[in-house]
Parts: sequence; structure tokens; C-alpha cells
Amino acid sequence: MIRVSDAQLNDLLLKLFENSAEAIFFFDRHGKVIALNHAAELILDAEVLDRMAAGDKEAICLTCKGYTSEQEMQTCMSCYMKNPQQDISSFQVYLDTKGKGVIPYTASYQTIDVENGIRVFMLRDLTKQFKTQEMLNQKMMMKNVIKAQEDERKRISRELHDGVAQEMLSSLVELRVLKYMNVDQEVLQKVQQTEGTLMRLLDDIRHLSVELRPAALDDLGLEAAFRTHFKWIEKNYGLVVHFTSELESKRFEGEVETVVYRICQEAVFNALKYADVDEVNVRLFEENEALQLHVADQGAGFDLNIVQPKGTGLGLYGMRERAELAEGQLTIASAPGKGTRIQLEIPLRKGGALVEDHNRG
Amino acid sequence: MRKHDRFDFQEKIEQIKEDFGFDFVGVALVQSAERRFELRWTYAIGNRSERYRRIVLQSGKGIAGHVFKSGKPFLVDNTEKVLGSRDLFNYPIIDVEGLKSFGAIPLYQSNRVQGVLLVGYRSVGELSAEAFAQFRRVIETQIGPYTSGERIES
Repeated sequence: MIRVSDAQLNDLLLKLFENSAEAIFFFDRHGKVIALNHAAELILDAEVLDRMAAGDKEAICLTCKGYTSEQEMQTCMSCYMKNPQQDISSFQVYLDTKGKGVIPYTASYQTIDVENGIRVFMLRDLTKQFKTQEMLNQKMMMKNVIKAQEDERKRISRELHDGVAQEMLSSLVELRVLKYMNVDQEVLQKVQQTEGTLMRLLDDIRHLSVELRPAALDDLGLEAAFRTHFKWIEKNYGLVVHFTSELESKRFEGEVETVVYRICQEAVFNALKYADVDEVNVRLFEENEALQLHVADQGAGFDLNIVQPKGTGLGLYGMRERAELAEGQLTIASAPGKGTRIQLEIPLRKGGALVEDHNRG
Repeated sequence: MRKHDRFDFQEKIEQIKEDFGFDFVGVALVQSAERRFELRWTYAIGNRSERYRRIVLQSGKGIAGHVFKSGKPFLVDNTEKVLGSRDLFNYPIIDVEGLKSFGAIPLYQSNRVQGVLLVGYRSVGELSAEAFAQFRRVIETQIGPYTSGERIES
């Protein structure tokens, strides 16, 4: 143990009392405030201070909005002040502070002088930590929501693909058998028409399944999933996507693949909706130990600083959110008339390129 | 070879465009079995983009898809008001060709919808309900192997 002289210790304690960001109150046996530091004065109203100075035992109650017990967020039940036998080393208390409103503090209330019944009440501002906690919670929540959505989509998509579409296909085959049976022309024509309807319906179901979540993404990886998706885009909207991939069918972590797929999907959709172009370029490659995705068009472009977005404005936000999930970096470059360029960079964990968790969940 | 291959659709839609002064006329037809009975834009006139050629229509989706599925004519006199500008990308032909008022009618063959005829203008309100009704009365006759209304007999 490091030894210092009593004088030095006195000096240090005094400095701690004066300069600490923590509010410190000293109470006597009767609950009267005998001393408080500068930080404590800062958070209290002038009226409360006056009443404390006058020796009002209830003064602290004007500012205290209750502490957090197991039962309630803010309560006065079995108040920490009224229970002198008990030392509470750490609890949460809400104070109505000067200028900042009701904010949470972490507090300790303990006896430091048994003989004279002197107790110290110390408060530490929790707002910052609370914000950090909240951000963390929000991120975790977002991550879970996105994961839940992907899992549910995967489930329904598989059901449609393996169940409904399969059944449909077998009935289509059965119908085709009719054509080789001895039926007259009129029936044959009707059968052919029904076959056409069924085939279109089958296509619709397959589209629906792929739209929800492409099985190719889990089974074959990004490149295959993209090729199917872009073909679908061309068939549905007439937009041509020039896709170049330099990955050679390499697989990545399930989450990374999902993030890249969804961001690219959104970027291409944005080009389709707003860029007023007939073609879009997509490039997928690996560089600087990161997976890189570039989506570029030569279309209308937009002002990045514009307050009122065309559309909901949620798309770009969602893309950033997803990028963050995989610790990726999303860069958007655009200007009116100059086209739009979206770049996504996701760092790859060294040696962890081949991960076999594509079918989890 | 199917019947409609012999009929000169291109000439027919050019004539329709001429007669009514439309900005755009297009015909979507069910393709042959070899092309998986896909519904595609087969003929167009007045188009400002080639995008229509790549599109495979889905039954029940888009304007032609809707007409194809329901078998009923469809008129929109103000694209933005009726379809909304936000979801316009779901109607690729309307969006790409910039049609502001348009109408679509089903083409029947043996009592089944086998195609869709789309006519439209690039200005709002030009195809009014009266104009569309007038157009349908004139066109009510046969269009090649197709009829524009449902036949009860046959």
C-alpha cells in the first residue's frame, strides 16, 4: 500500500471534494446537510440550496424524484434517507436538476463516521452511460429484427419453393399426360390453355419465393443469387444490369452475404425507381482484405444534402443500417445529372472466408 | 405457325395510332409453348425506349397484367393521381414510356384473354372516359384472330 502523510491525504481529499464531477453531500445524524461540494451546488435549484442551508431536513426531497427499486423505476417507498442503519453502496436515483430536468444518477449512501452519525451521499451522472446503453440496445434490437425478418422470409420462401411449387409441378406433369391420351381436339386445346395458366402460376410462385429470399443465396452464394435476381429485374422492368464478379464463387459468412445482397438489391431498385436509366453496372470483388460492391448508374443522380428525399428516404437509411451490421462502410456519391455511385466495403476476417453456416436458423 | 403470326399487327397498330392520334400503342401477347406461354410486349409503335422488349409480364401485375387477369378494360386518365408517383416503377411500360393517360383492353381468342392492347398519351386527361368508350366502339371489331370483347358463343 502506498503511504502518504495525513497532510497530503487531507489535501487530496479536499481536492477530490472540490473538483470532482460527482456531487457529494454530507449529512448528519438528523438528515441535515452539513456540507456539499461545487458539483452538488450545480445540479440543485437555488431554493433547495437555501432550504438546505437553513437546515431543512426535507430539502433533498424537493429535488429527489425517487430511486429505482426492484418494484418500481422511481419510488419513495422505504427511502434511502429514512433508513440510517442500512448502507447502500450503489443504487439508481432520479433527480430534478437545474436546467437538465429529471435525469438518472447512480448514487451511494454510506456512513463514514459511526460515532457522529455522519453519512455521505455521492451522485454520478448516468446520462451518458444511459445513452451508450440505449444505442447498444437499439443496435442489438435492429440486428435481431433484421435477422428475424430474414429467417422468416427464408422459412416462407422455402415452403413456397419446396412445397407449393413442387405440388404445382407434379399437377402440371399430370396434365401434360392428358395430351398423349386419346382426347378430341377441343379438350386438347383446353388442356393446353390450362397448362399455360398453370405454368404462369408456377412462375409467379417461384418469383414470390425468390423475391422473399433467394434459396440460391444460401445454397450457391452471392454470384448465383445476383445473376438470378438481375435476370428477374430485366424480365420485370426491362432494366439491364451489367454484372461483373471477380469472386470466383467464393463463399462468405452468411450474415455478410445477406448484407451485400440486400444492399445491392436496394441500390439497384433505387436506380430503377429514380435514376431514369436503362442500365446499371454492378461490380463485386475482393480488395484490401475486404469484400467490395460497386453499384453505378449514369442517370439522374441526386443532391446528397437535400432535405426532402424523393421517395421515403428510408432506403438509404436502411442500407447504412445494414452495412453497420457487418461493420461495413457505405459510400454514396451522387450529384444531379452526374449519376449515382454506391460503394460498400465489408472487412473480411482473416482466414475466415469459408464458413459453413449458410443454412443455420 | 400460329394464326396471329400471319396477321400484320404492326400495320394494324400503326393505323390505330394514326386514326386516334395516340402517342403510344402496344400489344402484349401470350407466346407459344416453346416460349413457356410468357406474356410479352410483341408489337409497339411510338415507343421512346426499347425496354418493353425485355419485359415479361406477370398475370395480375402491372396494367397489362391486370387486364390480362381480369379480362376487363382499364382506363387511367391521370397516371400520377391514380397510380401514384411513388409506385410507378411497378408499371414499367407506363413509367418508361411516360404515359399520362392511357387505356388497355383485353384481346380474346376462344373466350380466353390471349393478349392486351394498350393505347395512351403522354399528357394528362387526353384519354377521357368518353374518348376511351369511343375508341372501344370503333375497335370492337376483330383485331386479327382476336376480338376485343368476350364472346358468349363458341
